[in-house]
Amino acid sequence: MKIVLAGIGGQGVVYATKILSQAGLLRGEKVMASENHGMSQRGGSVMSHLKIGGSEAPLIRRGTADLLVGFDRTETMRNLTFVRASGNVFVNSTNGLDSSLSERLQELNIAVHAINAEACAKELGSPAVTNLIVLGFAPAHNEFGLSLDDLKSAVRALGPAKAVELNLKALDVGAKAAR
Amino acid sequence: MTTQLLLGNDAIALGLTQNECRVVTAYPGTPSSEILAGVVKFKKKLNRDIYTEWSASEKVAFEVALAASWSGLRAAVTMKQVGLNVAADSLFSAAYTGVVGGFVVVPCDDPGPHSSQTEQDSRLLALTAKVPVFDPSTPAETMAMLKAAFELSEKHRVPVIMRPTTRVCHAVQSIDVTDTGMPPLNGNSGFKKDQQRWAATPVFRLKLHHELNAKLQAIESEFESSSFNYVVNQPLAISHQPFGIISSGSVFTTSQEVLDELGVEIPILRIGTPYPLPRKLVAEFVSRFERVLIIEEPDACIELQIADRTHVSGRLDYVIPNAGELTPEVVMKVIGGQLDKVGLTVAASPEDSALAGIIGALKIAPRRPRLCPGCSHRSAFFTLKTTFGPNAIYPGDIGCYTLGTNLRVVDTCIDMGGSVTMAAGFYHASKITQDKRPIVATIGDSTFLHSGIVPLINSVHTNARFILLILDNHTTAMTGAQPTPANDYAADGSAATRVPIENIVRACGVKFVHVADPYDQEPFEKLLKDAQAFTQTDEGGVAVIIADRPCVLYDDSPVEANPIPVVITEECDGCRYCVEAFECPALILRADKSRVDINYNVCVDCGQCIDACYKGFIIPKEVVMSN
Repeated sequence: MKIVLAGIGGQGVVYATKILSQAGLLRGEKVMASENHGMSQRGGSVMSHLKIGGSEAPLIRRGTADLLVGFDRTETMRNLTFVRASGNVFVNSTNGLDSSLSERLQELNIAVHAINAEACAKELGSPAVTNLIVLGFAPAHNEFGLSLDDLKSAVRALGPAKAVELNLKALDVGAKAAR
Repeated sequence: MTTQLLLGNDAIALGLTQNECRVVTAYPGTPSSEILAGVVKFKKKLNRDIYTEWSASEKVAFEVALAASWSGLRAAVTMKQVGLNVAADSLFSAAYTGVVGGFVVVPCDDPGPHSSQTEQDSRLLALTAKVPVFDPSTPAETMAMLKAAFELSEKHRVPVIMRPTTRVCHAVQSIDVTDTGMPPLNGNSGFKKDQQRWAATPVFRLKLHHELNAKLQAIESEFESSSFNYVVNQPLAISHQPFGIISSGSVFTTSQEVLDELGVEIPILRIGTPYPLPRKLVAEFVSRFERVLIIEEPDACIELQIADRTHVSGRLDYVIPNAGELTPEVVMKVIGGQLDKVGLTVAASPEDSALAGIIGALKIAPRRPRLCPGCSHRSAFFTLKTTFGPNAIYPGDIGCYTLGTNLRVVDTCIDMGGSVTMAAGFYHASKITQDKRPIVATIGDSTFLHSGIVPLINSVHTNARFILLILDNHTTAMTGAQPTPANDYAADGSAATRVPIENIVRACGVKFVHVADPYDQEPFEKLLKDAQAFTQTDEGGVAVIIADRPCVLYDDSPVEANPIPVVITEECDGCRYCVEAFECPALILRADKSRVDINYNVCVDCGQCIDACYKGFIIPKEVVMSN
């Protein structure tokens, strides 16, 4: 499974990648992920590539990703051509993606699943867990490949202990929003 | 077998720890910075006695580790690729003298470049210095290669390079972390005197050069049968075929995946030891094909060592692009093109051009890197710009504050310490060209201590006149807050002796030295003006101002202690001055451009933007409350 994660510095893209990687590891799969470091300061574009059960090549070629998980609407659109035909997009957005994209996405059979994770996070009283809400939202869709329980196990394994409870709650909020 | 997720740099750190490396030194630089931090983490976790040091520069780091090797200990030094330039003097010399304890140099290359000033290939520097190289393709492989590198270094008594690239350093992989490390071959003997080697005069240097050449010949012969060099997609029958590939490093895995996607079985000779190249193995492989493509990064190291290139393509005949990272897209294009040439047409799904067209029409602006909200560099730069305007000459340096380009107060950036030397050079040139513009150089604390001191001594000695603004945020911020010699703690948190920058500057002979908080913008402006006046007086020279304020990312206590929340009043007319001149990520121009709002999610309440609105529309919240 090839997953591209995209967002803005400070949104926890790297942490979200860690959770998915850990979930893959706990399922006994081979994991290979690529992170941004260095110049990507707070507020810059951040992207990571993740392969679960795939090759050792660190990067995903445009047009071949099964999933795109976007924590920011604009960054999601910037990285949209990574997704293969019949792939899936999970995005934190109040209004999906730009309407000009709909027709072509439909022709390519790419499904866009949007969640207003920021609003959910505000309700939870913690804007910092927006990334986890998006992750919790995704497993309700069969195409995601990892289950909510997989993600919860990963959160527990990663710690730190004091953050686990809130992170689990955020996953549940996301999962609830998908129903 | 225990499998864990490890960052490439952590895998390198664990490999060093497991193989009983006793001294590890480094100067921080992306993509290498996490290695030493990893060693500190693992030495505590595994209870190993390892001396770790963030050195003042790569040359310092190299020589501290080298002396440990000469004392019989296993030692390693890590740095980014341009750091190896700084340590090149030591590298070339150490190749001749040789080593005792296994000595491994880990320079991390950055094809792209993602965060470097060049895309240079450390393997080519190794080739020039005559130092053997291992070239890992994955994080997991770094651990096996480090073990082999220590063994090789001890057996032949040579420094050995293991050269990862960004895509190895910053990849995270599920890795078997079972300890397979092996103890040193040469024992921990302590330094044994041998003047003809360790202090060789030119006559003995010639002898050492002959000795090094013999070592390299023996190593090449060993590399012919190294398990790090192997063929994948080996054809069943050995017969002449149209197309083969030789590859090394991370891009080997990319090449493999591209072939899988294309659904073709093309043999690849993976080279894990690019220097000295096992030339027999390579020549034999090449002889089996009509055309062999060499895919390596970031430059042509294997390709250059192949004497007969009649059937070989790569960077030297421009088949592979000679700049930029070899992403899967580039590799697909190159391999696809070559297969087409030999009559093997294949189809692979590229990105959807129609979709790309629609996204292009949305004109999504790139998000450039910016200084963080509350960054003290921004305050210093803003005051600098309002004081001297756009016409002054602003030599800059390497660090977060290179982003002063966004505020138009960094005109040059060449290398570590280059701001000080360039300022002096601009001054001496200005005397000839009769240029009266003020010259203000900016450099960070870590960079000043790395490469700014000698240039400052030279500037004072040659009577140069300019302002040097040392942006002291008490850490090496860009690479993750590593301590400098001006901090009182070491890499592993133990106590270290603080060497104050102010004392160094005074000892360099600078007569105008002031320390000031750039958050106090008005006094800071006055100080800048005084400094400029000093450079113009008869007995004037270099004027140094140390802008003293900790990095808000790693020590926000001064801001926390005195928060100044701000609001933008209704009168804001969206003139954009603050957005462009102050350039804080928390100042957001509305989509309809009618006014500027504050993004309180990222604002740190530093209050520094109050002066960024000359119309007075950015005001402290307290003022609003009391009105």
